[in-house]
Amino acid sequence: MNITKIRKEWWFCVSVLAALTVTAGSTSAATVTVNLRAEATTKTMPDGITTVPMWGFAVDADPVTVPGPPITVTAGDTLTVNLTNNLSVPVSLVIPGQITTMSPVWFTDGQGRQRVMSFTHEAASGGGMAVYTWTNVKPGTYLYQSGTHPAVQIQMGLYGSLIVESTTPGQAYDDASSAYDEQLVLLYSEIDPALHEAIDNGSYGTTGATSTIDYNPKYFLINGEPYSAATGPLPAGVAGDRVLIRFLNAGLKTHAPTLLGPYMKVIAEDGRLYPYAREQCSLMLLAGKTRDVIMTPSAAGAYPVLDRALDLTNAGAASAGGMLRILQVNPAVP
Amino acid sequence: MRWQPYNRGGRLAVAVMAVSSLCGAVAYAEIDGITGSTFNLTAKTGYISGADGLSLHVWGYANGGGSIQYPGPTLILEEGVPVTINLTNEMPEAVSIVFPGQESVTASGGDAGVLTREAPPDGMTVVTYTFTPTRPGTYHYHSGTHADVQIEMGLVGAIIVRPTGYDALDPSTWRAYEHADSAYDHEYLFLFTEMDYEIHWKLEYGLTSQVDTTTFHPVYWFINGRNAPDTMLPAGTPWLPTQPYNCLPRMHPGERMLLRIIGAGRDMHPFHPHGNNLTVIAKDGRLLESAPGLGADLAYSDFTLASVPGQTVDAIFEWTGEKLGWDIYGHAPGDPLEPNEYAPDHGKPFPVVLPGQLEITFGSAYSGSPFLGALGDIPPGEGGLNANAGYFYMWHSHNEVEMVNNDIFPGGLMTMLIIEPHGVPIP
Repeated sequence: MNITKIRKEWWFCVSVLAALTVTAGSTSAATVTVNLRAEATTKTMPDGITTVPMWGFAVDADPVTVPGPPITVTAGDTLTVNLTNNLSVPVSLVIPGQITTMSPVWFTDGQGRQRVMSFTHEAASGGGMAVYTWTNVKPGTYLYQSGTHPAVQIQMGLYGSLIVESTTPGQAYDDASSAYDEQLVLLYSEIDPALHEAIDNGSYGTTGATSTIDYNPKYFLINGEPYSAATGPLPAGVAGDRVLIRFLNAGLKTHAPTLLGPYMKVIAEDGRLYPYAREQCSLMLLAGKTRDVIMTPSAAGAYPVLDRALDLTNAGAASAGGMLRILQVNPAVP
Repeated sequence: MRWQPYNRGGRLAVAVMAVSSLCGAVAYAEIDGITGSTFNLTAKTGYISGADGLSLHVWGYANGGGSIQYPGPTLILEEGVPVTINLTNEMPEAVSIVFPGQESVTASGGDAGVLTREAPPDGMTVVTYTFTPTRPGTYHYHSGTHADVQIEMGLVGAIIVRPTGYDALDPSTWRAYEHADSAYDHEYLFLFTEMDYEIHWKLEYGLTSQVDTTTFHPVYWFINGRNAPDTMLPAGTPWLPTQPYNCLPRMHPGERMLLRIIGAGRDMHPFHPHGNNLTVIAKDGRLLESAPGLGADLAYSDFTLASVPGQTVDAIFEWTGEKLGWDIYGHAPGDPLEPNEYAPDHGKPFPVVLPGQLEITFGSAYSGSPFLGALGDIPPGEGGLNANAGYFYMWHSHNEVEMVNNDIFPGGLMTMLIIEPHGVPIP
């Protein structure tokens, strides 16, 4: 059975997943095949003028996005990704936290040393294809990302979220403490436009910067967009709901999401459930990290979640920007 | 690993201190701050001093019509007692306050902002925030407007919520939370921040459009609004009028010290106590408990504490000199034990032959003796900062670049713990 479970929006996913869980969920593991392609794109910043060259992923014939399309499967499934690479450099795909056989690719540097270029086999540039398979995937929240020259390729945009639902409907993990009524994904990442420009125009590694050591991001994104006055609130269930928030950091910096209002029960990290949840209103979100929390708002309201590491500007502008969202909790339906 | 609960030795120490304090000037130790149920804060501009002589333009919260404070006034609240905070704004741009960890804040007056209601910069409009602190613990407040700039400029402050039943005059009620695992003999605030002076200079000269916080590069680091060594000066020292809070933790052997640690800046600060590990008992105003009422059963021991921006941590520190392998009091084997002395080392000799006076360099806090409470001969002009013959331990950021004042060591996010001999009054 080949099922492609892809969603663009979290709320859409919930219903799709619910439907799939009935057919393929707890009874037998499915094989899920995703046709991804890596391709260049551009992103327009909130000023409406600045455009930044990006690399991103797309599924099938959809447009390329950053982050790449969210992938949702169920624990125990086999996930197969057919990756087509339309970029001008080789690309590969890894999922930290999920186990598979890796076949690193080496190259010889200018001093004759053998060095790793890719953590696993590559899809060649200019339309090459490679197949990546993970069997018996574990539940939790994960990043999928490029495994090739990651200091360059991940910050260019080659990342996305993988959600592995547990086999128990309405639970993130195989434990009742992870039960939820609603879920949303908050994926953090950054953009250094100068680095993107250099990589795009070929000056990176030649006439321009030779490494990402001077990484200096100007834009701070949640789910691919910096906050701006045009950003609407994110629906986050109704009062009394258990709202699962999956935090992922695909950026290179540590961020510190703080929720104003309700507390969060921090239940998991890197796809592993804690033995005991911790109640916090702040969260240390290291680069490459995923953390799952459950918020149970007792009242309806608009609850901001802001990066307390203060990446709250769009390229220095004085208006609110960056890693900020307002979670909208509606009144409970009587 | 479960940590050892509050022991009889600790209670004895409380009794000893209470007795000794009857003869001393001050009867109890509390974190400096303002109390009550209504607070009138004014956001305005002002200056702070760096320990290197720097004078830096800042924005701060003032108590009423007073001068700004960095950090803002520490609000000391009571569990379950509603509070009202009125904010007016004498700064050049709109400002507000948010209260992370307070679950039902209402705001009225002023203008709608992104995070909360804001006071426009007219010096008149009052924005009123009200909430009831339903849970005891350590919290903080900060501007919810243009936060990347305004927090950098100084608009942050601590909140302490005392548990029901707390009585400053009754040491048996000194707890951070409603459980004996949070009992303490002394409490100290550690509010960490950092500053990039270029942002302050640009705003001082009105170059607002040139401020870009994405190029943030701090060169000053603070505990309770002061750089070391000013952290160790007395609280309220007159030559630091806008930086009234100090951070000079002092305790007797065997006592329990509560550290209320607040990551109030935007960077992480790995905080390193010398002398012993810290036991982390709470985060964000919540005991580390596996179920309500069990106490801090998920507490953990740490010698480099991760202070995360926006996060508060409560930790307990204890010290007796245990397992040093020598008697810190210099006892002979037949001498009586001191309170809370680590008995297996009683009477064990100091294992070092002290060099002659001409062979050593003297620190300003050296008492002339290796033994706690003992003074020894030191040459004229040396020592002098340790009249009680206590032990000094440096407590500092383990990111050691943060132990400077604009590249000059020592400074920054650093202070000293003093283990005082029994009988020395600690205010």
